[in-house]
Parts: sequence; C-alpha cells; structure tokens
Amino acid sequence: MRIRDAAVASAMFTVPAAAAQAVIAYSGLEIAEPLAGRGGRSGSVGRGGRAICSLAFVRYADGDLGPYHEFAVAFLVRPPGTPPPSGRGGRLRAMRDVGAFIHWLPVNQEFTLECGRSIWGFPKELADIPMDLAGRVKRCAVRFGGRTAVEVAVRPGAPMPGGAGAPKVDAYSCLDGVTRRTPWTLTPSDVRMRPGGAKVVLGDHPVAEELRALGLDRARALSSTTVGHLSMTFDPAEEVRP
Amino acid sequence: MRRTALVAGAARGTGALAARRLAAAAWDVVAVDTDEAGLAATAFRSPNTHVRACDITDPKDVADILGVTGAVHRLVIAPALPAPEPPVDEAMRDGFLGPAGLIRAALPGMLERGAGEVIVIVASGASPATAAAAAAARAYIEALAAEQRGRGVAFRCASPPAEVPARLVLDEIDRSLARPGEVHVAPGRRPLRLAPRRPRRARASAPPR
Repeated sequence: MRIRDAAVASAMFTVPAAAAQAVIAYSGLEIAEPLAGRGGRSGSVGRGGRAICSLAFVRYADGDLGPYHEFAVAFLVRPPGTPPPSGRGGRLRAMRDVGAFIHWLPVNQEFTLECGRSIWGFPKELADIPMDLAGRVKRCAVRFGGRTAVEVAVRPGAPMPGGAGAPKVDAYSCLDGVTRRTPWTLTPSDVRMRPGGAKVVLGDHPVAEELRALGLDRARALSSTTVGHLSMTFDPAEEVRP
Repeated sequence: MRRTALVAGAARGTGALAARRLAAAAWDVVAVDTDEAGLAATAFRSPNTHVRACDITDPKDVADILGVTGAVHRLVIAPALPAPEPPVDEAMRDGFLGPAGLIRAALPGMLERGAGEVIVIVASGASPATAAAAAAARAYIEALAAEQRGRGVAFRCASPPAEVPARLVLDEIDRSLARPGEVHVAPGRRPLRLAPRRPRRARASAPPR
C-alpha cells in the first residue's frame, strides 16, 4: 500500500515506563525503555524508567486509501523476542531496532477505517478530526459527537537536512487479540524539528483518560517534528506471537 | 453540516491537490474539469468527492453544475494546462472569461448565505496572452472584493511562480484566509521585512474549525 503525499506533525513525550507497559499489555509486547530507572534488569520494565509515547496527526492527500485525516497514539516497543538491553550504550543501540506500537488511530473516512482494521489490524475508529497544517503552529483536534477527546498544537522547528535514505520502521498493532507487525518505509522531506514545542489538551474519551494517567495533559514534549511532504509504503501485515 | 466546495481544474496539478485536501478534511467536494480520466484519478477512493465533466467557459455547463451543487461554501478555480503560445482570445477565455463566469454564477448563493470563499489561482505568465489573462483575473478579483466588502465572502487570487510546488501554494492560500481583507496571495515570495517586528498580542489557543 502506497501513500504518495501526506503531511504530518508529531510530538514525543517521555512517560513512566511501567504505566505505559500497563497500557499496551493487551498486545503482549514490551515497551522500549530508552531512559533507565531503577531495576528492570530481569526483563521486566524497571521502576522509574521512562518510555516514549508519540502523538501524531496526518493529512493523507494522495494514497491508496483515499484522502483522509488521522490521529495516532503510539509507543516505542522492543521487537518481540528481544531481551531488554542493559547499560546506557545498550539502551541507545537498542533504539535502532525499536518499533512503533499503534495504540489508537482515529480517522475521519470510512474506507480507510475498514481497510486499516481488516488488512493491518490498526485500531482505527471514526472521529471528526479538524486539522490545520498550513499555519505556523500546526493544530489538530479529535472529536466524537462534538465532544473533544484530544487537542494537539505543534510549534515550528528548525529545518533538518534531507536524510540519506528512507527510514524503515516496524509498526505493531493489536486488534481483537491478534498482534501484527507491518513493515513501514517512510520518505520525508521539508522536515522541521525542535525540542519541546507541543501542547496537548485532553478531553473525556477513554484513551484521553489513559493519556492523562501517563501525565500527558499539558505535558512538555521531549521533541516535536513537522513533515511538509511524506511518502510511505506499508507492506502486508504478519501475525506475531510475542 | 458538511461544507461544499466546487473545485474547477481539478483533474491535475494544484486543482487536484486542492480537491483532495478538502476531501481529506471531510468537505463535500464537487470536482470539475474537461479531463474525465484526470477527474477519476482525483476522486480515487474518495466517497465525498463527486466528479462532473464541465467546461467552465460554457455558460450552459456552468449553469448545470451550479444547479447540481446549489450554493457552495468555497469555490476554487485552478488553471487549466495552457498551451505554450495560446492565441489571445483562447488565453482570455480560459484564464479570465471562464473563471469570471463561474464566479458570477456561484457568488449569489454565497452572498445570500452571507459567507463563502472564492479562490482563484492564475497560471504563471508563460506567454504574453497568458500573462494578460492572469492580470485580468487578478484585477477582476480585486474589484469584486472591493465591491462586495463586508458581505461575508472572502476573495483570494494567487499568482504562484511555476516552480512553487502546489502544496506550498495551497498552504499560503490557507494562511491568507486567516487574514481578513487580504486579496492577493503570492506563494513563494517573502517580502523583505525592514521594520522590527511588533510584539504580538497574546492570543488564546484556538483549535482548528
């Protein structure tokens, strides 16, 4: 499946690893813990360790699933079957192999909803997703029946030089008890990044409650990114048994 | 209530991207052009995009399409692919008379509602005839904006250089819509700022519409 033109704004937050692990426990996957806490050497998530939660909003203008808006809540996870890294160097090296577990993926069009759920097992649900990706500050809201679940604003960053290649990431999902891995290749351009730079306001949706429990309401972002033009490919999903 | 956009020149380039972006934002989009294959590509897997073959230089086609859409919230007119050296009458018909006729047909519905957006993207002046048509379209939009000031309809006319990507043209138009009263949009050109910036007034963080 190919996306020929999309635009993205995203922000990464550090969250308590143990709490994040509890949120994604249903998948059987293990949260990646790039920032150490106490303990955690036996393979379990350490006390006081920090994990990464990413919030992103995407406008798909041209792609095989038609045009639509999407909001994503994702956590960085270790590939299934890999042991937890030890030491600061090990943790940093392990970040090269991390995947993105897609915990929530509201969209605003029905075709992508059906395809995303049935082909890749992505946790898509239908929402109103107004978005402004043209302004200096990129803004998005996710609403259900007029009630706001989450609002995110991302401020502009500094231009980044073009990458040498297309980053490859494994996207993980878990729907109806089945965990899947989807190889995902991204080709971004017009990329801007900055430390901090994002504001999150949470509403009254169950996922918003989960994010609030992780400390994300009005939290300071680790970093934020905007991508003016992004093309992507998604390979077929395969079932994994963590 | 879903908003309706009529996008002319939607089979390719900036018009196609404008139609897709509006469809992504859940507008009801009526995409028109004379190129039916191009329209089909624009509306690919977009149930809220409706295509209609239409020559906007033909008053009957224009009346038919407005009869189908009713009053629209946004009218976008993107340039057709101009011939390298079109005759003056052809360039004026495609670049000025056609767009002006479509605007005249769509405007009463907007004025009646007291809200609307008219966006015209003119072709870069590759030939004297094309440049003359673009200048006429710019002057027409400017005069219309002055004539209809205060009646709730925003007018924008963008004149992008050929090398500016369509996505940047549309981003600049979107930004300009947040600045009331601005008519001319010049994507790709940044005016030299000599005076120091005035401190901005604090503004409540407003989510998108």
